[in-house]
Amino acid sequence: MRRTLTAGTAIALVGGAALWFVSTAGAQGGGTVEVEVKYNGAPVVEKLKVNKDTEKCGTEAMIEKVVVGGNKGLAYAVASAPGAKGATKTKAVIDQKGCRFIPHVVAMTPGEIEIKNSDDILHNIHTYSTANPSINKAQPKFKKTMTEKFEKPEVIKVTCDVHSWMLGWVAVTPGVAAVTDKDGVAKLENVPAGKQKIEVWHETLGKQEKEVDVKAGATTKVSFEMKGK
Amino acid sequence: MAHLLRCLLAPPCGVRGVRLSRRSSAPRIWTILGALPRPLPGLLIVCASLAASLSLAADLGTAWAQGDANAGKAVYEQKCLLCHGVKGDGNGAGAEHLAPRPRDFTKGLYKIRSSANKTPSDQDLFRIITEGMPGTSMPGWAVLPEKDRWNLVAYLKTFAPDAFKEPAKKLELPKEVSSSAESLKRGKEMFEAIECHKCHGNEGRADGPSRSELKDEWGHPIPPANLAKRWTFRGGASRTEIATRIANGVLGTPMPAFLDSVEKPEDIWHLTNYILSLGPASPDYATLLTVTSVTDAIPDDPNAEFWKKMAPNNVPLMGQVIIDPRNFNPVVDLVSMRAAYNDNEVAFHLTWDDPTESKGDGKQTFPDAISVQFPPQITAATERPYFLMGDANEAVYLLRWEQGKGVAEVTANGPAKLAPIQGGEATGKVVYDNGQYRLVIKRPLVAKGDTRPTFQPAVFTPVAIQAWDGGAGETGPKMSLTSWYYLRLEEPQSNRRFIIPPVVAILTLAAMILVVRTANRAR
Repeated sequence: MRRTLTAGTAIALVGGAALWFVSTAGAQGGGTVEVEVKYNGAPVVEKLKVNKDTEKCGTEAMIEKVVVGGNKGLAYAVASAPGAKGATKTKAVIDQKGCRFIPHVVAMTPGEIEIKNSDDILHNIHTYSTANPSINKAQPKFKKTMTEKFEKPEVIKVTCDVHSWMLGWVAVTPGVAAVTDKDGVAKLENVPAGKQKIEVWHETLGKQEKEVDVKAGATTKVSFEMKGK
Repeated sequence: MAHLLRCLLAPPCGVRGVRLSRRSSAPRIWTILGALPRPLPGLLIVCASLAASLSLAADLGTAWAQGDANAGKAVYEQKCLLCHGVKGDGNGAGAEHLAPRPRDFTKGLYKIRSSANKTPSDQDLFRIITEGMPGTSMPGWAVLPEKDRWNLVAYLKTFAPDAFKEPAKKLELPKEVSSSAESLKRGKEMFEAIECHKCHGNEGRADGPSRSELKDEWGHPIPPANLAKRWTFRGGASRTEIATRIANGVLGTPMPAFLDSVEKPEDIWHLTNYILSLGPASPDYATLLTVTSVTDAIPDDPNAEFWKKMAPNNVPLMGQVIIDPRNFNPVVDLVSMRAAYNDNEVAFHLTWDDPTESKGDGKQTFPDAISVQFPPQITAATERPYFLMGDANEAVYLLRWEQGKGVAEVTANGPAKLAPIQGGEATGKVVYDNGQYRLVIKRPLVAKGDTRPTFQPAVFTPVAIQAWDGGAGETGPKMSLTSWYYLRLEEPQSNRRFIIPPVVAILTLAAMILVVRTANRAR
């Protein structure tokens, strides 16, 4: 009896390892998609006078709604390949620093997110979501990190009620995803070869999608132009 | 099985069960318990069977509590629809004028829960329906039969069935810590460490720097709770209720959950104890405002010990909703009056909470103000002028303070017609401190002319109060006010009260001795 059990466990272990190996190998066999997001309009930045915690937050808060960088590149857009499932798990981290969420937009696969408070003052993590349970938890100065779980894909708005100008976004995506940098470029790695749908989302400029043909081991470029509303 | 375990862990097992379902027949249980055989195995068997019957009773209780949504709909349409709307979205005809606005049931978000998750328990909903929400327009509906209220609970849930898919999980609070000097100290420490003051203010008077930025889930401005007025707490002011709000947060509002965000779990209770120390349990409203008679000088400093020692006469204020522009959501809801007089002057000490000290920009904000109103002449025979600052025919006399202008004696013929009295003698001093105004207005006791009253001891003097939070846009008719109250200057203190009682006592004693002696002699 005991022998059969041991054998069974061994087989299960080996099988599991093999499966894991195959799936990772499969993901690595994909290609890279370089997503370029452009915006032809002007940046939108709102400024707000700060009346509290000025030693941490400064005297003026910048609410960056549309950030346009070099070559009309649109920053803080989420590029994703929803079909590229089995993406390597990425644990997202957002920090509250200088009364801003850093990064302003973060992409993650379903799972855990680490929320830091580097400010040494009270913040509260208040999320607006439908698929995941929304949370509103205080993060006082002595609570430097908090871990939350976002299991379902959706874009979650994150605010702080203490500092109403603070705004962040967490894009939970089942597939490969990345956020565009200051030049509007995001790289999606390990996208399985073949036809893939690429989606781009921006907090104020909305959503667009295109189909690309991904080649294994190569970089495919795709360009989006977001329209002002 | 769980019942059996509970029996093992907590004999006498019947007690808990009885409390669980009050509808089970308690006497019968006690008969059984009384006849319990002593040996343990026997006890176990009885416990088990008892537990089984009790769980059955508990199930019956739930069935009763579940209510009938269809029957609830009929009650809803009669009683709730005007505010909460046909669709339950909080957009009823009355909604516009209410702050906070009526609950939108379609989101399934409920402020007051005893549960650890987002789903409120049926009991939570039942309690709010029954007791209402203090400080809001939601009245208690205890007048409805209990069954109707349970039916309403069932109907409310149909507006957001998804929100109730996950059953309510009971919140486990940390072990309770009773109040003590030490606990209060720790509570204050935590209050500062977790920065409650950001919204609630240093002394809990809802005047924190984030106040003006706060919005609820629907984007409507929402003020923080005034922790010094716990009779206005939406979810009740018992220890457990306050601890639950701190631990759980208030769903759909900026108030976050602190259960995992305090240094030690029991800090939830230290905070609760501290919050309970910030103000009285109830406002204890006065019916007659007493002006204390003193012989010494009356200090004009609002923070003087003299005033602190005096018990306040608390008066509730309501929004002015008779003439336009109406004030459906007044800010000042309570004024505490302390008053004293001596041979020369009378002084009124007024305390009221106002979260913003406002001088006004003249467009959206205005100077804060308050007035104490009297008839121009105090005679027992005359009819009182119209309480809303008089009218064209009959004026009222006001002792009025306005931010930036100070104290003045004013004649009013209605809220829009104010005229300062020439040769006014009123003086005053004000302090604003952590969301609270404290003001002293003084005036000679005797006044000349027919526009200013002379204050006389032992006379019932009509009095009314109006207040304006200019920071919230209150000015002119947009105010908080009271109707006429009565104010009475205590009769002057004399030495008689110290002399007469001892004299009576001595005389009585003498009479008694006389009687006893006579009786003894007669024997």
